[in-house]
Amino acid sequence: MNRSVLLCALTLGLMSVNPVNAAVIFAGKEKAMAVCSHCHGIVTPSADAPFPSLAGRDFNYLKSALAQYRDKTRKSDLMNAIAGSLTDNDISNIAAYYAGLKTK
Amino acid sequence: MKTIKKLLLPSVITSLASLLLPINAPAADNKIHHLYEENCASCHGSDLGGFIAPGLNADTLKGRSTTSLRTLIMAGSFDTLMPPFYGRLADDDIRGLISYLKATPKQPNPTWTIDDIKASVKVYVKDESTLPSKPIYQLDDINNIIGVAARGKYGRGEGSKAVFINSVTHKIIGEIPTGTAAHIIDYDPANPRWAYVKNDTAEIFKIDLYSMQIVRSVKTGFNGPGLGVSRDGKYIMAGSYVPHNAVILDANTLEPLKTFELEGIDPDGKQVSSDSGMIIGTPFADIFAIALENAGQVWVVDLKEGFPVTRIENVGRHLHDAFLSHGGSKLMVASYEDSIVTAIDLKERKIIKKLEAGCVPHVGGGSVVEVDGRTLGFGTNFGDCDKMVVSVWDLDKMEVVKQVPVSGGTESPAAHANAPYVAVDIISKDRRARTVQLIDKKSLDVVKTLDVGGHAYFPEYSADGKFLYISAGYNGDEVVVYDSNSLEKVASIAMESPAGIFSHGRVRYMTRGLSPDELAKRDGDKGAK
Repeated sequence: MNRSVLLCALTLGLMSVNPVNAAVIFAGKEKAMAVCSHCHGIVTPSADAPFPSLAGRDFNYLKSALAQYRDKTRKSDLMNAIAGSLTDNDISNIAAYYAGLKTK
Repeated sequence: MKTIKKLLLPSVITSLASLLLPINAPAADNKIHHLYEENCASCHGSDLGGFIAPGLNADTLKGRSTTSLRTLIMAGSFDTLMPPFYGRLADDDIRGLISYLKATPKQPNPTWTIDDIKASVKVYVKDESTLPSKPIYQLDDINNIIGVAARGKYGRGEGSKAVFINSVTHKIIGEIPTGTAAHIIDYDPANPRWAYVKNDTAEIFKIDLYSMQIVRSVKTGFNGPGLGVSRDGKYIMAGSYVPHNAVILDANTLEPLKTFELEGIDPDGKQVSSDSGMIIGTPFADIFAIALENAGQVWVVDLKEGFPVTRIENVGRHLHDAFLSHGGSKLMVASYEDSIVTAIDLKERKIIKKLEAGCVPHVGGGSVVEVDGRTLGFGTNFGDCDKMVVSVWDLDKMEVVKQVPVSGGTESPAAHANAPYVAVDIISKDRRARTVQLIDKKSLDVVKTLDVGGHAYFPEYSADGKFLYISAGYNGDEVVVYDSNSLEKVASIAMESPAGIFSHGRVRYMTRGLSPDELAKRDGDKGAK
């Protein structure tokens, strides 16, 4: 096996285990704009808002938190309602979008 | 520290509000009314009668369920500027607000007299001779300044400011906090250093652009966007929705000189008290023109002893905004209810003609372009109806040239003598709100749609016409800059809920789309300044 094939195989292997690549950042941005940005901002929440910033947060944390809010295993009047209609794909995409944002 | 600030601030504001409170509410409702003043009034009106957002009173809320209103207040409304108040207002306060508003009728128009205005003047820089003689930052031409009215998510607070940008580098050169949402930015046509910013609670800030600071401020009413500067830069006129008046100020000191009660006979023959619509100074003469929204009249105020008024009646039902043409001698005024734009001759002070528009014309500053020997005016229409068009009129012949089909309601057209397209913002409340459409000046067809994102509105060209600035509005939280010819995205400037964009170049070309040379030439012909 020559080096380039090996490299190629390695890269593909890496991609398949990297969870962020399974998600679609652009679709995540669309969904974030429609569902999350009103409170959390499309990049950062308002300076005057009580909502946490999501930019640059850990992908897996965002994903599990959203899934818990959706499944009501984590309680919040507001978040249970907002996340209630999200699919698994939506959740991965949204998490990938915010996780990928650079914080200043 | 932040917690302390949050705890202290409401109590201070509450005591201030009780001094200012125009309404004799029962004591039990006072706390709730203060909450209303501090969180809701800048958009929904101090009189509960609505401003840029709907009125909230016993009449408008009849039949609305408390549950759905509570959800709306907590989560905000995605399609509008309404922010989420979850975490800012306690649940008991939200419920209290709802029951108070459902039980309270629209309040009578409160007073805000010339003495109140006088007493509200604040001086930030006592001795203006201490100000620098030129900009303290790198800038080749003062006209390259673009001002953006940033609303801030909650229409007040840290995000509310006027942001000034160098339209060559697309970098922010100054930020002026405005307390509540900045709404209008006007520039002194005679002295390049002064700008005037009006916010949603009718405070006007005199800004020194050279040092980027507030020099003075004044509160002219409770709300209302009307603001104009005279051609010599000596006077400002401001008008309010609450109360129903307008005031002429000394532009230098912001001291009030004369107030005007806005009332008159409407086109249906009824005597009415009226909101103030647009106010405009013109390079044509030493006058202000002001639209009386409900009275359907335009008043021309002469800037001389006593400020005498000429009333032009029967202009149209529910007037709002307007733009100038022909060296500032012709004024095109939009009438929401009649779906017309009325052309007024400011020299003769009479109506020239009523021209057909689309549904609910909102000309938003308008655009005028000279193409193939014709002077074409562009007017946007923000109603959502079957006929979604941008109106184009021949302003020499005063006739409709074309109603250009566009994909939705529109609020503001941008044009520049050196740019090929007239940009219009689509504001229909769905995916279309993300977009801006471009109309080719020659073919008068839509040739391109830009997907800006957020709720894109208020396009504006840089003074040299090379760049198109667009606010991505609420949920967009950025101003996006495009190359005017290639339409490639070249920059993004982050800020909270940006709205109106105002180029300093406007003082040179009067109405967007006209060439500065054209204005100079017409001025020469007419012997104006």
